Amino acid sequence: MQISLSWLLELIPLDRTAEQIADDLTMLGLEIEELRPRNPGLDDRVVVGRIERVRPHPGAQRLQVCLVNAGSRSVEVVCGAPNVRVGLLAPLATPGARLPNGMVVQEMPVRGVVSQGVLCSARELGVGTDAEGLMELAPDLAPGTSIVQALGLDDVVLTLSITPNRPDCLSMLGVARELSALHRVPVKKPEILVPEEGPPVESVTSVTIEEPDLCPRYAARVIQGVQVGPSAAWVQRRLLAAGLRPINNVVDATNYVLLEMGHPLHAFDYHLLAEHRIVVRRADVEEGIVTLDGVSRHLNTEMLVIADAEKPVALAGIMGGENSEVGPNTRDVLLESAYFNPVSIRRTAKALGMQTEASYRFERGADPEGVVPALNRVAQLIHQLAGGRVCRGVVDRYPQPVRPVRVLFRPPIANEVLGTEIPASEQRTILTGLEFQVEEVPDQGAFWVTVPTFRPDVTREIDLVEEIGRVYGYARIPTTLPVGEYAAPVVDPFWRFREEVARTLEACGLYEACNYAWIPEDALDRLRVPPDDPLRRQAVILNPLSSDSARLRTTLLPSLLLNVQENHRHQVSWVALYELQKVFWPREEEDDPPEERWSVAGALWGEPPKHWSAAPGELDFFDLKGVVETLLEALGVPSWEVRRTDRASFHPGRSAEVWCGETRLGVLGEAHPEVAEAYDIPGRVYLFEMDVEALFRCARREKRMSPIPPFPPAMRDLAVLVDRSVPAGRVEERIRAAASEILADVWLFDVYEGEGVPEGKRSLAFRLEYRSPTRTLTDREVDEAQERILAALREELGAELRGSS
Amino acid sequence: MEAQIQQLREEALHAVESAATLQELESVRVKLFGKKGSLSLLRRELAHLPKSERPRYGALLTELQRSLEAALSRRREELRSAELQRRLQAEAVDVTLPGRRRLLGRPHPITQTLQRMLEIFHGLGYEVAEGPEIETEWYNFDALNTPAHHPARDMHDTFYLSDELLLRTHTSPVQARVMEQRKPPIRIVVPGRVYRRDSDISHSPMFHQLEGLLVDRSARFSDLKGTLAAFARQMFGEQTRVRFRPSFFPFTEPSAEVDITCVFCNGEGCRVCKQSGWLEVLGCGSVDPEVFKAVGYDPQEVRGFAFGMGVDRMAMLLFRIDDIRLFFENDMRFLTQF
Repeated sequence: MQISLSWLLELIPLDRTAEQIADDLTMLGLEIEELRPRNPGLDDRVVVGRIERVRPHPGAQRLQVCLVNAGSRSVEVVCGAPNVRVGLLAPLATPGARLPNGMVVQEMPVRGVVSQGVLCSARELGVGTDAEGLMELAPDLAPGTSIVQALGLDDVVLTLSITPNRPDCLSMLGVARELSALHRVPVKKPEILVPEEGPPVESVTSVTIEEPDLCPRYAARVIQGVQVGPSAAWVQRRLLAAGLRPINNVVDATNYVLLEMGHPLHAFDYHLLAEHRIVVRRADVEEGIVTLDGVSRHLNTEMLVIADAEKPVALAGIMGGENSEVGPNTRDVLLESAYFNPVSIRRTAKALGMQTEASYRFERGADPEGVVPALNRVAQLIHQLAGGRVCRGVVDRYPQPVRPVRVLFRPPIANEVLGTEIPASEQRTILTGLEFQVEEVPDQGAFWVTVPTFRPDVTREIDLVEEIGRVYGYARIPTTLPVGEYAAPVVDPFWRFREEVARTLEACGLYEACNYAWIPEDALDRLRVPPDDPLRRQAVILNPLSSDSARLRTTLLPSLLLNVQENHRHQVSWVALYELQKVFWPREEEDDPPEERWSVAGALWGEPPKHWSAAPGELDFFDLKGVVETLLEALGVPSWEVRRTDRASFHPGRSAEVWCGETRLGVLGEAHPEVAEAYDIPGRVYLFEMDVEALFRCARREKRMSPIPPFPPAMRDLAVLVDRSVPAGRVEERIRAAASEILADVWLFDVYEGEGVPEGKRSLAFRLEYRSPTRTLTDREVDEAQERILAALREELGAELRGSS
Repeated sequence: MEAQIQQLREEALHAVESAATLQELESVRVKLFGKKGSLSLLRRELAHLPKSERPRYGALLTELQRSLEAALSRRREELRSAELQRRLQAEAVDVTLPGRRRLLGRPHPITQTLQRMLEIFHGLGYEVAEGPEIETEWYNFDALNTPAHHPARDMHDTFYLSDELLLRTHTSPVQARVMEQRKPPIRIVVPGRVYRRDSDISHSPMFHQLEGLLVDRSARFSDLKGTLAAFARQMFGEQTRVRFRPSFFPFTEPSAEVDITCVFCNGEGCRVCKQSGWLEVLGCGSVDPEVFKAVGYDPQEVRGFAFGMGVDRMAMLLFRIDDIRLFFENDMRFLTQF
């Protein structure tokens, strides 16, 4: 909401600067989004001009030459605006004037006719958005008046952001009331006096409320014989300052009261209402209305309309209809002031995709007791601006009077909640300053507080406590630390486990990625996920930002592939990423929330920064596998095995699943070349994804020390030749199986094929560590163990001892 | 005899001094002290001397032997040290060549920020609680005093998965979930991802929040102020000031928004803080009695406060990042900076 500072200070005279007022309002909870001078930089060289004569331009069909009265003198101006006409008052920029678009006006010939200035649109002047034609100024302005004075540009505009609980602050008087409570200076409310000279209103119209739940109150007045025309300058100034466009004096009056008092009003052309009466009812099935914005709208029976005897003439509380619009020929007007059910207004406005100044206020809650004062105020203004005779009396249908809320309020409670020591008397002053009525409860140190009906947000004692804190000033509330009891904080083991996963992957050189929870529609196609794969069952957002951000992830891999793709696109040469996040698995029962499962995935691609001394080499499967193995080891997964897998997303010869007993922990491998291609990734990209919850279940929970061996080990190497098709893992497994308990550890330290090794074979060299916890081993028993192992390998795998010949 | 001894001394000392390597020195030593060495030969000649002279020459020879041994040992030390010196010189490397660095990954800047925040709250006695990202309308709105058709729902533009299910718009639903399961006292912080239908330079459709909740018998608004002021100072430095402004959240009463002094200009006023000197960083307030009722607590018996802040926003302030979208692009050139 935009408000004019000069208007505000007229309602509450305070000796404070714009910045101080802005600060006051901020600290009362009315956030200031912007504070700016209204004047976009105009000076006295832009004045009010009155077009006295218009003649065609001799050299250009579309242009006209206007004789413009600029007060003390007249000038000739060439102009092409469509609304040029004799008698029009418009802004005239004279030579030397600088306009907000940077143009400096000069006297210059236009197609052979010297133009001594420029007539401006609102847009050119920087005071509005209208660029269609010349800005039409109020007729009561004197030619030659500086535009700064004429439009009241010597003012400051505050843009307020009002929280949805405070509809009462959507008005000048509401904002003034807040300042009044803060500074204890009374608000100067305008005096409302309606000269009633017409016949009794009951004799010219009637109001019927068919839906009292949706419209608890509806009041109307009729004014006869108005002269519709432009509003006086002072009205236009204030509407413009608030960002509203002046239309005519009747409509402007309703908007003026909307700004001043916050209560939405509507004016109908009385003669366009069938039988000159109002019926508040639900729309009929198939009924429609063309609203004032020219849009034809289909209604349904959930929507409340204002109708005459035959048809809807307004969407209740949202927008009027074209069929009853006040125009230049309107003579008599019917004025509406009503209170509508907030939920009903909100539903209808949402259903129709509309938000208007009126609906915005009604859906937050207007003041049911403000209905008649606002009606009277607008009648007074129209009478003042457009003349006419106001019919005597008000039609006021109020089938369900709203009872003001009464709350028992205990000042000590406010102090307990806030941590303050504000005297009860000061609390009382704060409440009365906000127009709450306060009565003392005898001998109890408490108050009965009657909440004004414009404060729908206040219904409980705690709401009053907030009022006390707010006006007393949050800044004055002390700064303390909690003194209450508390329970010792506990660290969730699964949280700690995830931290370990993350820290280990970082130690392996992977950076953490952060991706959205959704993946593009075709992401799984590109990953070559088969149509019947469970990964395809995704939870879907019904109202996504785009179709590519609708499907929630069942796997983290597509996001990482997209990250590699983007990095490559930006000519980054190396990617090492991991992500530890939730994936979402819909359940069988559609209404149940999808299962949220923690997953961890990684991607390696490109050329990591190479040390000058290192041999050149590409990333390969074993870089990836090393990361996974390091992770499993760090987490204390006691025993795992890798098994080849034929998942379509991966290179069939370079991928594996990781299992721990009967639990599948995850998958790792080189992405299938077609996957890399589908993601526009050149070269090989290595991926893994592990189920964090499965890892957590399999990991060793508690670590226990084994004694450090007191006796020295005996080390032996064993190099065997086996067929290439025999997996190294199998050989190692056989070694362990065949050895006696004195074999403490075994690891593969060399793999060799080529010269010296027969075709189709390879050499695997293992180092074996023998050890006994109770004695130093003899060479003989170690040699025997070696023999047993070799014999087993010969027999079971056809292995030969290398270099034994 | 005396002349012989003197001559040997001179020759031997000269030989020792002129040995250029340890090997040469060794052969000098053998020549002197070996079985057929010069000294041994001289000692044998003692037998040919008259008995009365033997002790004198014996003593002279012994003295000669000591001084030659000392010379040898001194020379050996010299040569050894020179040799070591030469070797060390030969082994010198170019110390300006880069070392073999370990490629260490790092947590995402949002995670690093969160770690820092959690550390502070852990010190204040809070523990971590978590909740689902897919929520029901009830926990996301109704249990937090935000009924359907309340204009406050406009504050959150929501992604829906069905009529009932949505992506949580804040971490606040975890407040209700924890309170339903536990009795006070409660001190929790809830980190997590949240979702709103919004996307531009300062809004991401997914971002991270840290929610805090304290419930006991006596929590005051002033305690909330003290807690968040302590947090802000640890997070952004001792000089940081905080400002509490009244605001509105359906689930707190009284409610506040909290500003800190702008980290870019130290509160002087700049483009980022729109010349105000303040940056809005979080929302908070005393827990609304309706929320206590919704989880089955007696609002007469308990008091509490809650706060919620954007982790991404904190990270932007901490690392001076000006576009929230950078967090989600996962560009290595960005991630490796933190």
